[in-house]
Amino acid sequence: MSLRISEAVIWQETGEGVSLYHTETGDFHSLNDTGSRIWKLVASDGEREPVMFKLSREFAGSNSAMSRRIVADVEEFIGTMIEQGFIEEVPAEQPAVKEESLS
Amino acid sequence: MTRAVVLGGGLAGVLAATVLAGHADEVVLVEGDRYPSGPRPRRGLPQSHHSHVLVAGGARALDALLPGTVDALLADGAHLRDLPGDALIYSADGWFRRLHTGAHLISCTRGLLDQVVRRRALGGGDVEVWEDTRALGLTGDEVRVTGVSVSRQGSPPETVRADLVIDATGRRSQSPRWLAEIGAADIEEVSVATGLAYATRLYRAPVDLAATIPAIMLHPGTEKGRPARGATLFPVEDGRWIVTLTGTRGGEPPTDEQGYAAFARSLRHPIVADLMAEATPLGVVRPYRDTVNRRRFFERARLPAGFAVVGDAAVAVNPIHSHGMSVAALGALRLREELARHGMGPSLFAGLQSALAEEAERSWRMAVEQDTQRAGQQAGDRVVERAGRDGAPRREPNAFEREIRTRLAQAKLSSPRLAAEFFGVQTLISAGTVKDRSEIARVLTGRPEPLLTDEEAIGQYPALAAWRRTRLAAATG
Repeated sequence: MSLRISEAVIWQETGEGVSLYHTETGDFHSLNDTGSRIWKLVASDGEREPVMFKLSREFAGSNSAMSRRIVADVEEFIGTMIEQGFIEEVPAEQPAVKEESLS
Repeated sequence: MTRAVVLGGGLAGVLAATVLAGHADEVVLVEGDRYPSGPRPRRGLPQSHHSHVLVAGGARALDALLPGTVDALLADGAHLRDLPGDALIYSADGWFRRLHTGAHLISCTRGLLDQVVRRRALGGGDVEVWEDTRALGLTGDEVRVTGVSVSRQGSPPETVRADLVIDATGRRSQSPRWLAEIGAADIEEVSVATGLAYATRLYRAPVDLAATIPAIMLHPGTEKGRPARGATLFPVEDGRWIVTLTGTRGGEPPTDEQGYAAFARSLRHPIVADLMAEATPLGVVRPYRDTVNRRRFFERARLPAGFAVVGDAAVAVNPIHSHGMSVAALGALRLREELARHGMGPSLFAGLQSALAEEAERSWRMAVEQDTQRAGQQAGDRVVERAGRDGAPRREPNAFEREIRTRLAQAKLSSPRLAAEFFGVQTLISAGTVKDRSEIARVLTGRPEPLLTDEEAIGQYPALAAWRRTRLAAATG
């Protein structure tokens, strides 16, 4: 399954990180640095594995324990975002990314 | 023979009685006052001197209960105004454009509405009306209400047996005490203060504007830490306008002649003050302060069978929201549905109060949310510790959140779809649970519509604009 940002979400990268607005629920969400980084990777790559790979390479290097922790953190973050309707899982052949931002 | 007794002969009581007339062999309506002979305020209803509008959801319910009533009101001089298609509304976010959304309100005096409804509901003689009769309490026990104790025209108390007793006595209902007296459970009660006061005056309208005037609403601005002050002007029957000035604590509208005019003049826009100055006052300025939102959760208690509460006696919201009469009509319609489903027997009583409470839920939530928000703004958000859904203290909104909120608030001024959603909820014709996602996305990602200037907003109403131009020309010589 691929990942895509829900069409119901308007988001913007600000000086404080990524801010999200869910147009159906009216919920706002501000992501911290790590969440923002994961969010942007989901937006650009649309798959779990590249996100995990890039973050592991960036932060864990060859430290496998750290790498496992990063994978777990990414899974948890994406799971929460899916649960709250900010990210959706879609079959792999569908377009994976849709970005809406304030003009 | 089955008998239903309805306590309170206001709108909620009259409508409940007329619904019950189709299901009980005998229906008695107990009213503490005597009804006026014409469309005039009732002695026991102090708020009847103030603005009363029937919003679209309530108008539909009223027509479903008593077909043809809205037409009868309009024929007797009530005015129908689309929202915001026939309403000049200056919200905190700007002027609304003249959009036709399907939402509307019916404006007339409370006296006219009550008279027309009474004529149609009680004229057939299916309901026995006991005027000048005081309700003193309930009879029965915690399991079953068997009747009521009343005093007719000052006579000694008498007991009236009933299979169903409905309390429709309004904000001053004594039901919690009456229930306690027969051993029933306590009733949980919640009050949400508004700090709002208002003052109302009737005017004879200038002839050239009497019929064409839009409904006018000047909402308070968003200045933190200052009283929220606003005004409404609605056309009512017989070429009159009813003007209501509102203010929260520290900014209450005065009731003296000069103070009233000065208050109107000090609002965010002088249109109401200008119109007042050209109209002829009819009678005194009348204050009103009983604006607390108060809910008694009868549905949460183990109520005795054979007893229910309707209207303001159960859920009374700040009258500024104009929901009282409409919720009363929606409640009566729900009572009719429940009676049709269960008949007037034991299976009715089990869920009746919950069903009636459901009809008031939207109005209650909306009123409490808006009044709490206003109280927070007035206090600079110090008083109300706003919390997120998880109960955690809410963080200060960041620039993104402020931008989104501002854009959405301003977009509803010009987007027919968002305005329809907003006014649909306000007028109780939709629950607002389904958001128009594509329109929200469009207004958030596209170029914002420019806000209307004062002149453009008033210019949407040619007769009003022409009148104002003439007046300004005369004033400047």
